[in-house]
Amino acid sequence: MIAVAIDEATDTIRDFIRDNTDGITYPVLMDSDHLLTELYAISNVPTVVLIDENDTIAQPNWNAYATDTFKDFTGIESAAQLDAIRRWVIDGETLMSPDDARGAVDDLSADEEQARLHFRLAVHLRSTGDTAGAERNFDRACELAPHDWTIRRASLPLRGGDPFGPEFFELLAEFNEAGRPYHGVDHSGHR
Amino acid sequence: MTDAPIALLETGPLVDPGTLTELIGWELKPEGLCRDEQCVIVTDRDALEHDGNIDLRVVASLIDRPIAIDDDAGLVALGATRAGRRAALNDLQAPDFTLPDLDGTFHSLADHRSKKKLLVAFSSW
Repeated sequence: MIAVAIDEATDTIRDFIRDNTDGITYPVLMDSDHLLTELYAISNVPTVVLIDENDTIAQPNWNAYATDTFKDFTGIESAAQLDAIRRWVIDGETLMSPDDARGAVDDLSADEEQARLHFRLAVHLRSTGDTAGAERNFDRACELAPHDWTIRRASLPLRGGDPFGPEFFELLAEFNEAGRPYHGVDHSGHR
Repeated sequence: MTDAPIALLETGPLVDPGTLTELIGWELKPEGLCRDEQCVIVTDRDALEHDGNIDLRVVASLIDRPIAIDDDAGLVALGATRAGRRAALNDLQAPDFTLPDLDGTFHSLADHRSKKKLLVAFSSW
């Protein structure tokens, strides 16, 4: 298992790890540039990607959850996914056939791609103390990918907002209104 | 792959040839823009090269990588290769990545080759 925090808040993640009583034996990596959201076309977290011994993706990222943290919002329970992970580890059985897994997640649009780069510019400018520059690029990123959680929601704490406050519910309402888009992954098809 | 998957540059989109190679592994040669054994043909060399400097916007387009520029800050973000992401989405080849842990030690997906990997992306937000 490899855990990757799509996050720049190193101290918060460090506290997570310290407070975790299960005993974390796997690497926990920091991805402040959101590299994985570009490489794997990830638009929300938490998510899982199952990768086999030959570095072939057995299950791409989609709205299947290995945690119940967001169950009330997604309506999706983690039990089936956790069971699927166990079956894959033990028997190599997968939820999707390779044919279904291929193309299950659409490629990023040009705007979603650009949004990721502007987010990266904003995070860098913020770290250098250029608040105006950071805001300019966060605004651009959010305009380009308004329903992408790794852009809109991730930017909230970096701009003085609260990712668990009223902005989250506004974002959720917009997301629901837009038909819960995950660049092409149909919600109903992936239960 | 010897090049960095993504790059951030504070000096604007014009770079000297040495910086280009250092940054992303590509080099402008008489036969084209090359990296390792691979070359892409440059049809408009004047657009690519001005006064000995190379325009990253043209490079990005030639090697099919996205680029975004903040003119006021002179900051350039060069994204990952689109081919790498398409190989993940369409051919199920997991793109390698290298990221630091909380102690600053770098880990790569490739370190775990020949094992099944559960990649969990999470966040504090």
